[in-house]
Amino acid sequence: MAEDSFLHLARPLGPVSVGTAPTTAPLNVVIQPQAIFSILDHSLRRNVDQERVIGTLLGTRSEDGSEVEVRSAFAVGHSEAEDQVEVDMEYHKQMLALHLKANPREVLVGWYATASELNTFSALIQNFYSGQGDGTWPHPAVHLTVSTEAGKDLETRAYISAPVGVTAERAADSAAFIPVPYELRYGEADKSGLESIANAKDAEDRSTSITSDIESLERAIEEVLSMVDRVSRYVESVIDEETPASTAMGQFLLNALALAPKVEPADIERDFNNHIQDVLVVSYLANTVRTQMELSTRLATAQLTLGGGGEAPATGEGNQRNQRGGKNNQGGRPRQDRTEETRA
Amino acid sequence: MNGPFHTNPPSPPVSTLTTVQLLQSLTMAEIPAPLAAVQVEALVVMKIIKHCSQTFPSTATGAIVGMDVDGTLEITNSFPFPVVEVPAESHFDNAAPNPAAAAPRAKANAAYSAEMIRMLREVNTDANSVGWYTSANMGNFVNMNVIENQFYYQSQLNERTVALVHDVSRSAQGSLSLRAFRLSPKFMAAFKENKFTSEDLQKANLRHPDIFEELPVKLHNSHLITSFIHQLQSPTSTASTELPASLAALESSPFSKNSTLTPNLDNLSLSIDPFLEKNCDLLLDSIETHNTEVNNYQYYQRVLGREQQKINAWKQKRAQENATRATLNQPLLPEDEWQRLFKLPAEPSRLDSMLNTLQVDQYARQVDSFVSSSTGKMFAIKGNLLPNETSN
Repeated sequence: MAEDSFLHLARPLGPVSVGTAPTTAPLNVVIQPQAIFSILDHSLRRNVDQERVIGTLLGTRSEDGSEVEVRSAFAVGHSEAEDQVEVDMEYHKQMLALHLKANPREVLVGWYATASELNTFSALIQNFYSGQGDGTWPHPAVHLTVSTEAGKDLETRAYISAPVGVTAERAADSAAFIPVPYELRYGEADKSGLESIANAKDAEDRSTSITSDIESLERAIEEVLSMVDRVSRYVESVIDEETPASTAMGQFLLNALALAPKVEPADIERDFNNHIQDVLVVSYLANTVRTQMELSTRLATAQLTLGGGGEAPATGEGNQRNQRGGKNNQGGRPRQDRTEETRA
Repeated sequence: MNGPFHTNPPSPPVSTLTTVQLLQSLTMAEIPAPLAAVQVEALVVMKIIKHCSQTFPSTATGAIVGMDVDGTLEITNSFPFPVVEVPAESHFDNAAPNPAAAAPRAKANAAYSAEMIRMLREVNTDANSVGWYTSANMGNFVNMNVIENQFYYQSQLNERTVALVHDVSRSAQGSLSLRAFRLSPKFMAAFKENKFTSEDLQKANLRHPDIFEELPVKLHNSHLITSFIHQLQSPTSTASTELPASLAALESSPFSKNSTLTPNLDNLSLSIDPFLEKNCDLLLDSIETHNTEVNNYQYYQRVLGREQQKINAWKQKRAQENATRATLNQPLLPEDEWQRLFKLPAEPSRLDSMLNTLQVDQYARQVDSFVSSSTGKMFAIKGNLLPNETSN
């Protein structure tokens, strides 16, 4: 997605009081998918007459301020008219306070809008977010635009701003937006979530159920098989001189093939047998324990009619049965302990 | 139901439809269909993952909001509960060891979530509380905290609420684990009156699988997210690809960086031991707990037996005494005085052992599902490294 290239320019600074000077260091923006998802969700929930919606971005800043990580976002109500814009600042402040209560480590880093356009209102809002006091000053505020126009690609851009102004009274609603590079980054933990979400991408109803471990394994294996197929088809067509050969591609494939470990068959055999036994023993024991637990509860709650008595058994008898269940489970213990030995 | 409308040709079909829908919604309001499924938006999935993995390995909890549409609970947004940080120096004896686990039913958080929901309503988010979520580590979510939280939600706030459980460690080693639970009506009734003696359990036929009802979870993407995911996966450039000039060019090309989201090829990695070891530890812990419970119960039975013996001895003595008194024509002594003299011990609650049983069940199933995929992987690897063996 980041096919643009960027040139870091020191942004021009406005007149500031002596003391903490704002940084001019290059800035890199990292966006977590949660934030984008929040923005997209907000965009869907906008009022009918609204063309774009805005909200606050929260995240963390690296110590030297050169990297901003956008972690979450919340919506802020606003309305735009011909000549004025109203942003619910009271709402923004309250929501920020609520959010910081639950995420004490996150700070205000900027704001987003769901249209690519930058206009006077953008500058006005940008100046609020980057201002002193409630804003991000002395750090630059990040402005993220995510275009959500129907029928077009989603386009994300990140900007920071520098004050410009022809006259003093126009300074509040003008700003020079400087594009900065951004990167979409997701962690290991997000991966399984994104995988499941991506499963639904080709479904007509845009929904999917959560797959079990074995199902996702099956899918992964199928994918690998199809990739191997593709590569071998390519190699065959090169051998048949139907496709132009590429040294680089050949080298790459050779490197990949060289990754296969060279192990003695006997070693493999031994390791395999050791491991498979461990795995199966643990599985067997876990199931034994489960069965015994199940048995004990069934015995404890079963409506037994002993002999011709017919009456529901008194507590004493119930106790005996529970005791029996208990013994069963104790029987499971020594065997369970053996698991440890097998693993050790 | 719509019979009368068909006999009325002048009425336009649109209005017929709305009337029928109205009627249906009216009847729905009277007898709401039981919750059958849970549909989670991609946004919620990501937010929960973020929150849970941030606080891992300690528990994270939060609220979920959404809407109940004809028995399907649509969860469209979520927010975390603030955690009251207890300073390390101050040691309260009765403070919960993990404040986050008890957060959903804490008073301060009720105010917090009410406030948050009010704020969310202003930006057109579905502003109904439909439950809460918690993180889990290796399926260890069956505990009193979860039960009490869900009981609080189902009894105090809204009957139609669910608990979403996101298992961080299982998601890290395989596919996403997100499950939705509710307390069964049977268990709710028992928990309300705290009836957990073996007699009560027997009468209600309440067993450990009856504690929770699991609802099927579906993920749902909005149109925008669908197109975002599509864009994320395939490079946007449509220019025909040319063969790379060198190895370096190939490695720096966008294709080598492009990571596919689904299927997750990390699933193929073969690491068995850490997972099984952790699971065995947990299982052993549970069995330990079970033993303690059994010992408690046996102690109770011994005490009960002793008391019963004493009572019987007393009864016999009194009967003999009365017999002699009868022969001597003296007034008989009352025979039920033992109820005053002896006190039977109270039976310990069976709830803990029930939960523990469910937990063991959980672990065992987890091992099962893990073993099924890892044995497959192991045989595949063996087959690959020893191709001669498999052909035999």
